[in-house]
Amino acid sequence: MSWFSSRGASSGKEQASRVQTLAEPDVHRSLALAALFDEIRGRKVQVLDLGPAVGSNVEFLSQFGCKLYIEDLYAALSSRTALGEGELSGPAFFAEFLAVPEETRFDVIFAWDLFNYLQRKELVHFAALLRRHCDRGARLFALMSILKTMPAQPYRFKIQDEQTLIYERRTAAERPSPRYVPSEITDAFKGFRVDRSFLLRHGIQEFLLAKD
Amino acid sequence: MAWPKKDDPPTHHPEPSPAAPPRPAAPTPSPAPVASPSSSHEPPRRTDRATIGPSIFIKGDLSGEEDLVIEGRVEGKVDLKQNNVTVGKNGKVHADVFGKVVTIEGEVTGNVYAREQAILRQSGAIQGNIQAPRVVLEDGSRFKGSIDMEAPKDMGGPPSRDREPRPEPHRVETSQVEAAGVKAGA
Repeated sequence: MSWFSSRGASSGKEQASRVQTLAEPDVHRSLALAALFDEIRGRKVQVLDLGPAVGSNVEFLSQFGCKLYIEDLYAALSSRTALGEGELSGPAFFAEFLAVPEETRFDVIFAWDLFNYLQRKELVHFAALLRRHCDRGARLFALMSILKTMPAQPYRFKIQDEQTLIYERRTAAERPSPRYVPSEITDAFKGFRVDRSFLLRHGIQEFLLAKD
Repeated sequence: MAWPKKDDPPTHHPEPSPAAPPRPAAPTPSPAPVASPSSSHEPPRRTDRATIGPSIFIKGDLSGEEDLVIEGRVEGKVDLKQNNVTVGKNGKVHADVFGKVVTIEGEVTGNVYAREQAILRQSGAIQGNIQAPRVVLEDGSRFKGSIDMEAPKDMGGPPSRDREPRPEPHRVETSQVEAAGVKAGA
């Protein structure tokens, strides 16, 4: 299956219209995001966005003069599952997914809510890869669900401003949430520490991890 | 559909339409209308633009001095730094694309270098890197790669190629084609 068709049979147009027919997107304040932008202001940074390409995010991030890498992790995971290669993704999968030169370093990683969709072993494998591409001080932004269930597919996040995120649901279906606790996150992300963590009222815990 | 053989005399067409025998009843393959509801981002269109029709396959480098619409397949390099390049909805390009304003409605595997702006439409997909002072990604478009929004200092060559895809060295398997100011050649 080519990358161009990796999102299955539905076209981008169909997907876009489906998003629009779901519930109105939620708008939430993000304390971790505000802290992150405070830290990178005035620096030219390399950013890795693990979500789908979102035009407004590209436009927003352009003010920071950053170089932006966009790698849609969930699309890659979905494609792999569709090919019948199993649900658990190992180091080889992640290395192929993030096929950047060894010397590439990211200052900021937007993981959004994608870690909720990885099993613990997958988290460990992926964290090991990300660790190799981060220098000391790099920041990783992640949103973990603390509710029993969560959307069956990751949200599509749009940065409205430096402290506001728009959550767009891609599906009305739900699935159980792994409900990772902070110690599980830090165990998986060895070499990172929790720089900031905020528990939000809508059942999301924001993490800003920093590379030691 | 085939390009003329090397021994054939060069033919000139007002539009680079397929060189198939004339079919009176059939309309000349023409590009799909490139205007879209969101085309307000685009600069005013010039009338002098060349089109690579849906049935055309070019393997080699393309250069010229007028705007270009690609609805067919191109492998190699598209080098129109002073002009606008549009990869239409039917277009499939496996090449680095250099242009002033580069608009992608089809599929591109390769790097895109735009002097002014790169636009990835909803129907478009890019697997490669974008370098342009301004980048527009429409919702629903597919993109895998990196975006560098610093203005390219020298459009003479890619500033950094730190990721696949890296197109193979350009080879020309067809004869040189010159039509409407757009050249295909080594």
